Amino acid sequence: MNRKAVSVLLSLTMGASLLATAPMTAMADDEVQEITWMFWDELDTTTDLISLGFKDVIDRFNEDYEGVYHVTPITTQLEPYYTELNAMIAAGETPDVFIVSPGPNLTDYVAPGVAAPLDEYLEADGWKDTFSSDAVFSQQTYDGKIYAVPLNIAAACCYYNKDIFEEAGVEVPTTYDELLDACAKIKEAGYTPITISAGTAWCLSMLAGYLCDREGVDLAAINSGEESWVQDKTIAAGEKLLELSQYFQETAAGDSNDDATLAFAMGDAAILIQGSWAIGQMNGLDDEIENKCGVFQFPAIEGGNDPNRVIAKSDSLAMSSSTEHPEAAIALMKYFTDDEAQKYTAEVGGKIPVTNVEFDLSVAPAQLAEVMEIFGNATGTFGFYNESLVSSDAGSEFDNQMVSIFQQEKTPEEAFQAVEDWYVDNGYRSAEETE
Amino acid sequence: MDKLLRDKKAIILFVAPALVLFTAILFVPIGTSFYYALCDYDKKTMTYNFIGLGNFVRLSKDPDMAIALKNSLFFLVFSCVSQLIFGLLFAALLTNINKGRNLFKNVIYLPCVLSSAALGLLWAFLFHAKVGINNVLGAMGLPQPAWLYSTAGFITLPMWVIAFVALWQYVGQSMMLYMAQISGISKSLYEASYIDGASKVQAFRYITLPLVKPMIGTAMSLNAIGSLKFFDLIYSMLGDKTENLKMDVLATYLYRTGFSSKGGNHYGRASAIGVILVVLCLLATAIINKLFKSENYEM
Repeated sequence: MNRKAVSVLLSLTMGASLLATAPMTAMADDEVQEITWMFWDELDTTTDLISLGFKDVIDRFNEDYEGVYHVTPITTQLEPYYTELNAMIAAGETPDVFIVSPGPNLTDYVAPGVAAPLDEYLEADGWKDTFSSDAVFSQQTYDGKIYAVPLNIAAACCYYNKDIFEEAGVEVPTTYDELLDACAKIKEAGYTPITISAGTAWCLSMLAGYLCDREGVDLAAINSGEESWVQDKTIAAGEKLLELSQYFQETAAGDSNDDATLAFAMGDAAILIQGSWAIGQMNGLDDEIENKCGVFQFPAIEGGNDPNRVIAKSDSLAMSSSTEHPEAAIALMKYFTDDEAQKYTAEVGGKIPVTNVEFDLSVAPAQLAEVMEIFGNATGTFGFYNESLVSSDAGSEFDNQMVSIFQQEKTPEEAFQAVEDWYVDNGYRSAEETE
Repeated sequence: MDKLLRDKKAIILFVAPALVLFTAILFVPIGTSFYYALCDYDKKTMTYNFIGLGNFVRLSKDPDMAIALKNSLFFLVFSCVSQLIFGLLFAALLTNINKGRNLFKNVIYLPCVLSSAALGLLWAFLFHAKVGINNVLGAMGLPQPAWLYSTAGFITLPMWVIAFVALWQYVGQSMMLYMAQISGISKSLYEASYIDGASKVQAFRYITLPLVKPMIGTAMSLNAIGSLKFFDLIYSMLGDKTENLKMDVLATYLYRTGFSSKGGNHYGRASAIGVILVVLCLLATAIINKLFKSENYEM
């Protein structure tokens, strides 16, 4: 065979092989629908039991749908989560499915059309009927359309170390004054009375939210402009925040949420004021804390508002409106709300499930029964203050001002005046209200 | 070759790919961000509305911007002065020793080639409230300073700590630049000065310093630009706590304003901060070049 014939033959072989791979690639694309899921914890290194449950869901989904759908998790830490999500959206790389908190955070994705409405998928095959009630979607509904699916419900409570309470000779406080007395005695006994993070501002802001609510602050009236942020009730709440801060750990200003939870799990501090998602985290950090830990609802303020109101929050999943594979995204979301995942949520993760799943409370973390009792006895729920204001920016301003009270950079009057000024500067007060 | 260089078509042909690439990934984004600096980004409609100098007016009244500007200027001054002193000192010392010169040179330069994110995490552990240095201090019964979370003072303790870490990381770069310049000075100049009775200090003062002066300008310009756009160490050491700890610099404030869930998505205002950052970099470079303008001596 001459040289020319060999080169022609080789060229044909190369061309044929290139052509042969094209349909194979196309076939592969047709077969496996690749999607992404963004979450606010590192799945490979986390000790948080809820996050570990989510990891199981992802693994289970990829295994069950092998060759059909495949999800790749995009994980980050909680603090920079929205920053990174916003960067991805700005770059046109919105994850197909992403976790989001209801309230202004979700609004930020619903308003510009980043999150897709989910009603047709929820109604299609009875998926919606598996949820415990339509009320679980109330915070995810905009103009009658549901834009996110809740995965669990968490209630913010006070966790306490029974051993430290016993050693300090204090009873579970039911009023704010009793809480102050308990803190003083715990401090005398040589323990940190309250562990909290002011470095992660929303933790401190959650406490401020409870104090405002117990004082009887009408948030709806403030948001609508009927009332001002500068009023006796908010200022009294700010003063109580300052009063309680003398019982925080010395490093509260710089501690992250994880640092604060760790201090409680390790038995360095007596009280942790946190959402029930902390149950999974603290039990993951130390096995012994489950038996030492009790739960009480945030104390009443004498002469104040209904003390049986509870801060409640849910983790929710939204689907990108630009996803190329909505079927895969919905299939994944269904895995998060199926019986196996929801049972795990309650029995291992320590959060309240959102579906009608039956679970064994006796195998759930010991703290969950107490949280569910508090939640069951609640006369009403309200959201995190920073997630219940007119926008996420307003929530951020509230957080920052609560930190400035704690750091004694501003008096409560000055701090709440700053929040009010923010409302004025950003057009949330009419001319008549500002006069 | 000469023929090729006279051929304008060939020149255009060779330059075009790089020019197109640079225009696409550098000039266009820079120009766009200058335009965005004059716009307000509407989160709800995801559109830009032209507002003229509105972002700059707002930033001029913004207390967070004032803090970021103050902190950036502190880093600028601290970095320029400290790296000049220590960089020159290390360079002068290392050029005068024969034993272990390469070892010390490599050790001092090593942090420069390491990832700032990794170094930031490492130093954050060392300066953590409960572990690292404070653990040792606590065991010795000494007070445990709030290295990374004190908010007291005009220049806070965390600012000094991070400025020190930045000095530790980048002093090697200044040292290398000064060493390169000092190595180029003819030995005969020093020998002549010693014959005339000059001491080592006098030789440094009257020979080394004047001849290193052009490099001081270059090194200082690099330090100034680097410290004005300083981001990685602060972000990896403090995360999103920069706002509440009053630790924002221009770059972190830009990032927060542009992308953070805490007051973010204001791309117009973030672009305006970027424009201010560029202007400050140009201004700092111009001032340094004017201060260190010197004639080139034959060495």
